[in-house]
Amino acid sequence: MLEYGINEEQEMLKTMARDFLAKECPKTYTRAMMSDKAGVTRDYWKKMAEVGWTGLILPEAYGGANMSFRDLAILCEEMGRMVMPGPFISTLVMCGLPILAAGTEEQKQEFLPKIAGGQMIMAAAVTETDGDFWPGGVNMKAYQRGEDYILTGTKSFVADAMAADWLLVACRTKTSAAPEEGITLFLVNKDDWGIYVNPLKTMDETRKQYQVTFNRIAVPAKYVLGEVNKGWQYLKDAALKATALHCAEMVGGGDWVLETCVEYAKTRIQFGAPIGSFQAIKHHLANMYTGLEYARALMVWAAECVKDKDPLAELAVSMAKAYCGDVFKMVAGLGIQIHGGIGFTWDHDMHLYFKRSRALDTVFGDGKYHRELVAKHYD
Amino acid sequence: MVAEQSGKEAAFRKQVRNWLKNNLPKGWGTPEYKAPERQSEAAQTLGEQWTKKCYEAGYAGFGYPKEYGGIERPDWEIRIIREEFALCGTPPGPMSQGLLMAGPTILRWGQEWQKKRFIPKILSGEESWCQGFSEPDAGSDLANVRTAAVRDGDDWVVNGQKVWTSNWTYADFGLLVVKTDPTAKRHRNLSYFIFDCTSPGFSRRPLKQMSGESEFGEMFFDNVRVPHKNLLGELNMGWYVALTGLAAERSGGFAVGGRSTARRGWGNMESIVELAKETKHYGKSVWEDPVFRQKIAQFAIEGEAMKANGALQAAMVKQGKKIDPNEVSVSKNYSAELRQRSDDMVMEILGAYSQMVEGSPLAVDEGNWVYAMLRWRGATIERGTSEINRNIIAEKILGMPRD
Repeated sequence: MLEYGINEEQEMLKTMARDFLAKECPKTYTRAMMSDKAGVTRDYWKKMAEVGWTGLILPEAYGGANMSFRDLAILCEEMGRMVMPGPFISTLVMCGLPILAAGTEEQKQEFLPKIAGGQMIMAAAVTETDGDFWPGGVNMKAYQRGEDYILTGTKSFVADAMAADWLLVACRTKTSAAPEEGITLFLVNKDDWGIYVNPLKTMDETRKQYQVTFNRIAVPAKYVLGEVNKGWQYLKDAALKATALHCAEMVGGGDWVLETCVEYAKTRIQFGAPIGSFQAIKHHLANMYTGLEYARALMVWAAECVKDKDPLAELAVSMAKAYCGDVFKMVAGLGIQIHGGIGFTWDHDMHLYFKRSRALDTVFGDGKYHRELVAKHYD
Repeated sequence: MVAEQSGKEAAFRKQVRNWLKNNLPKGWGTPEYKAPERQSEAAQTLGEQWTKKCYEAGYAGFGYPKEYGGIERPDWEIRIIREEFALCGTPPGPMSQGLLMAGPTILRWGQEWQKKRFIPKILSGEESWCQGFSEPDAGSDLANVRTAAVRDGDDWVVNGQKVWTSNWTYADFGLLVVKTDPTAKRHRNLSYFIFDCTSPGFSRRPLKQMSGESEFGEMFFDNVRVPHKNLLGELNMGWYVALTGLAAERSGGFAVGGRSTARRGWGNMESIVELAKETKHYGKSVWEDPVFRQKIAQFAIEGEAMKANGALQAAMVKQGKKIDPNEVSVSKNYSAELRQRSDDMVMEILGAYSQMVEGSPLAVDEGNWVYAMLRWRGATIERGTSEINRNIIAEKILGMPRD
């Protein structure tokens, strides 16, 4: 049943997350990670594992906390509030969930307890040169040689690859008219000889991206994830979930921006009065508040639909992504504007949110892409 | 579109839908249905009868205690009733400020005799109401009221002019804000009365709007006597009484309503898609135009956001959390501005046909789309302008200092 409100345990999770992040993920940590090649410390990851986040929605049998998708969305909202860096969604959602859905018992036993326990970080290598997450973009080939598959090619815009111990790699193993047919997923140890991870300098430095080159990597058959040629469905499902979680991050980030602006508008004096007494500023703030209220509503609806496997889940996520993306961009842009000169400096944190808003808008399809999916629903 | 939550809800929805099917005017929703002229007596009668029917069936009168004729139902039932009513469109209630303003205000501030006397007939649609707030010099600055009342025995004698009065034609009673203390300072000088529209000295006349009709009117008070017992709230504290009514008025949405909900042209998603699918420009289907698809999808998204937000707030209320009463300024602005964006988008879809109004043989859907576009330019002005609402959001919700 779609449950829009949040219960007592979820309130507790929210409070706990806010306290944890205030303590462990202050902006000093985030800024240190911006100039770090991998963008996360093992120490930070271990602390997240200790509070049960790294396996939040994995079953208890694999060391997870077996919590709901809505719980995860609540957590991601708090992470977004703090523009938390690191491979959280990459590991748990983009890699952990496909392993849970498609993996053999052996694979699940090998990977999931380590993900839940914080010993293993993973990244999904899917996107190539066109930069779009879609099956037609997956052209890197893998071919069979004896018991092994040989992977050769380059993946681009790969999030969190440097921090990852293992990669989930999508390769084309068959060409077919329907692009989603013929994609196979491989679990690849990043330490394998012949894998080169090159950092790509990114605008949002809290979200690391890399180019990953595979030079004739041999992957044993036991590391094929799911059926050969049928891998896309698992990525698609994981991406739907990751998209909903990015919406939660955007709403959380937007809230931080609005709260910060409200405080600033009360205390910043110009023309002898707090700038918040001027209608021009008031109306900006009212627009931010209104946008965020409706963005949150769509995000909650989308998260609940995903949680309940509702038939409208894809539509809800597309609606939420398009709207949250637009609102977060608007809110973060006004965040800089309301702060004036100080908001334009490197030292002020506002630009971290501004950049995050621009980054997340592009991930898993921008507003235009998702609006077209919404239109298709009414075809 | 939000998925049904349980079998119980689905069953209730079906029940409401059946009732609507059996009780809506003959031919409703089909081209055979001929709606009465806007603002006509026939429209008023239809509205009164429809309200009475809904009330008697238990589909209206929510939010009031039983003792004053209120109908009590679980929140989820009320939500489904509203959704179903909105979905097929229903005749509008009587052109009355009764349900929107008079009811909530009397309930909050009224004396016991006033509640017992007036509320039941508001809910059943038997008595029609108007309100006298705005004046030529008191628009957004509503506290700048000049119409004055002077005490004379058991009565107050009222002189002045009110403007932008909805339902000026058929109202039986009116709400009235007047200056009762010319020496007191702002917000402490006004009182709030109920007045009888048959009182001697009271007159009204139409005000023609940009849409060509006279939905609103002007009211003139020439030594009109209003009994002191008709006072709502305390003497000289009428400003605070008025705020209740204004908040209640803002809470009414703009998504549906008006005469034409039975026919296409009142702006729901399905009908816009339908229109886009059957319209061509320069030989190409509007619905296949990627730019239009983007715009229409955006409208769908914003409409769903409104629904989702309603569900979110309902869930919060259910959990006993308090919703800031100033939230009505948020939803009022959102729905009014969404309404205008979508109307403009429809004009783009109509192209040359957007010039064809009711009466033209080429008018699309009896000119309803075009009428709606004109009418709802008022949506961001009436019930508090968008600018005033943004001030309220910033000051009352976010705590910004007043300028």
